[in-house]
Amino acid sequence: MSAATAERTSAVAELEAALADVGDGATIGIGGAVTAAHPMALVRELARRKVRGLTVLAPVAGLDVELLIAAGCVEKLVSCYVGYEVMAGVGPVFRAAARAGTIKIEDIDEGHCVAGLRAAAQRLPFMPWRGGVGTDITSLNEGIETFTDPVAGEELLAIPAMPLDFALVYAEISDAYGNAQPQGTGNMDLALGSAAETVILQVDRVVPNEVIRRAPERTWYWQDTRVVRAPFGTHPYSCATMVADIEHLQEFLDAAGGEGDGLDAYVQRYASADHDSYLEQIGIRRIASLLV
Amino acid sequence: MADYSTDELFAILLARDLRAEDRSVQIGANMPMARAAAVMAGLTRLPDLRVLVGLGVANLADGASVPPVYPFLFDPRSQVGEALMVQEKAFDYSRRPDVFFVGGLQVDRRGNINLFGIPGPDGGWKVRGPGGVALGSMSTSCAGYYIVMPRHDQRTFVERVALITALGDRTERERLRFPGGGVRFVLSPLGVFDFDDAGDMRVRSLHEGVTMDAVREATGFDLAGPDSAPVTDPPTEDELRTLRERVDPEGTLRA
Repeated sequence: MSAATAERTSAVAELEAALADVGDGATIGIGGAVTAAHPMALVRELARRKVRGLTVLAPVAGLDVELLIAAGCVEKLVSCYVGYEVMAGVGPVFRAAARAGTIKIEDIDEGHCVAGLRAAAQRLPFMPWRGGVGTDITSLNEGIETFTDPVAGEELLAIPAMPLDFALVYAEISDAYGNAQPQGTGNMDLALGSAAETVILQVDRVVPNEVIRRAPERTWYWQDTRVVRAPFGTHPYSCATMVADIEHLQEFLDAAGGEGDGLDAYVQRYASADHDSYLEQIGIRRIASLLV
Repeated sequence: MADYSTDELFAILLARDLRAEDRSVQIGANMPMARAAAVMAGLTRLPDLRVLVGLGVANLADGASVPPVYPFLFDPRSQVGEALMVQEKAFDYSRRPDVFFVGGLQVDRRGNINLFGIPGPDGGWKVRGPGGVALGSMSTSCAGYYIVMPRHDQRTFVERVALITALGDRTERERLRFPGGGVRFVLSPLGVFDFDDAGDMRVRSLHEGVTMDAVREATGFDLAGPDSAPVTDPPTEDELRTLRERVDPEGTLRA
């Protein structure tokens, strides 16, 4: 007689439930980079709930961060870049918030992000880093200090550990147990996940474990992961099978850059219902036109 | 005068200057002219060059297909080539890439770059830039970098940047024992600029039709250099044909 096999626990959660304990004052990291692979469905849910007082680490950001600022969710932003490349050199919501002083902003270099996330993952207080020595980064980021290294006597930066309560990241596929297989390059998401207590993983498809096992070298996993299925959920940003939606990004930039309540109307229109409603707003014709 | 855009001129001047010892080139966000330059150099003169174009790592030798220039750096269609670029790995191998390209809100006489912004009098921001991206890390370590300024006026070419994002000042770099080689040259719509023995910016050449008076008028500090500077060698028919037919058939740089 064979012993009964215990059943493996599914990590799949509905969008709303997966983010339910991301509460006021939480520290979150948001994955993706520039116009690729941001977990926008997760971000829209936080904007819809109007979570307050978030500290957000978003390495190379755009609408992900701007939507949260516009919805009043952000108290402090740590980022290397908020912009839209050729469409807008600087994110308009970020720029306005910076100038009005409505959120606290800490600048950081991409190399510092990697170092700080790894320090958190390794339970170290800081990591040494050379890039940025002699620049004004130390005046724009309260945590980063200059120190003299005890080995060679060189001037270096101490990048403080950046532990996260939650890392919000995206992969094209995962199985039900959080074995993620990004088909892009994963950006800084591995490091974000390693620095977080909990990873909330947005995917287009939840596939059987046997699909993952065909290419185990492509799998990323973290200990405590929730898997949220949200097809086309990076929209208006790209994933491996969909290009970024320039028309939609322009609609946002026009709304944010204009006079009046255009920005509030944008948030109300696109971040006030569930993910399926969002996709209905965008429309199947638009989505289909973006597929690679 | 041949008909070409400023970005096409930038791409060709950068492609000419990349060197045989440059084995890998990485391109940051919002730099399609630098992407085109690296691809063009790899295609025509530097068969050993690895070009990190968006998400892919390409080598252009042996008839490899040319990755197109897309408006967004991380376009999924750029995920081709012989390897994939992984953002966090770029910093594990900080001696590489050999070459990087930077832009900025301001550049100063000493070659420092500001992409952070300009603080206001009350502790806020008069001008807020997008952030430093990876300029601090890359400019410290890479073998050499090019500064590409889309505008040249007294607000962008200044005596002293309001905030330093990338430290170009040669004296300071030596004092801090930076491993990287620093700024190779500065490109603007008016000319090509490098640095004299004291580390101050000077004119290397001026583009067709630009006078020394015009560039001095547009610069917020005293530019070193003679009263008449050489004219930048304009793009040749061959270079323009290669750029338009093989590197940028979509015309991203022509717009």
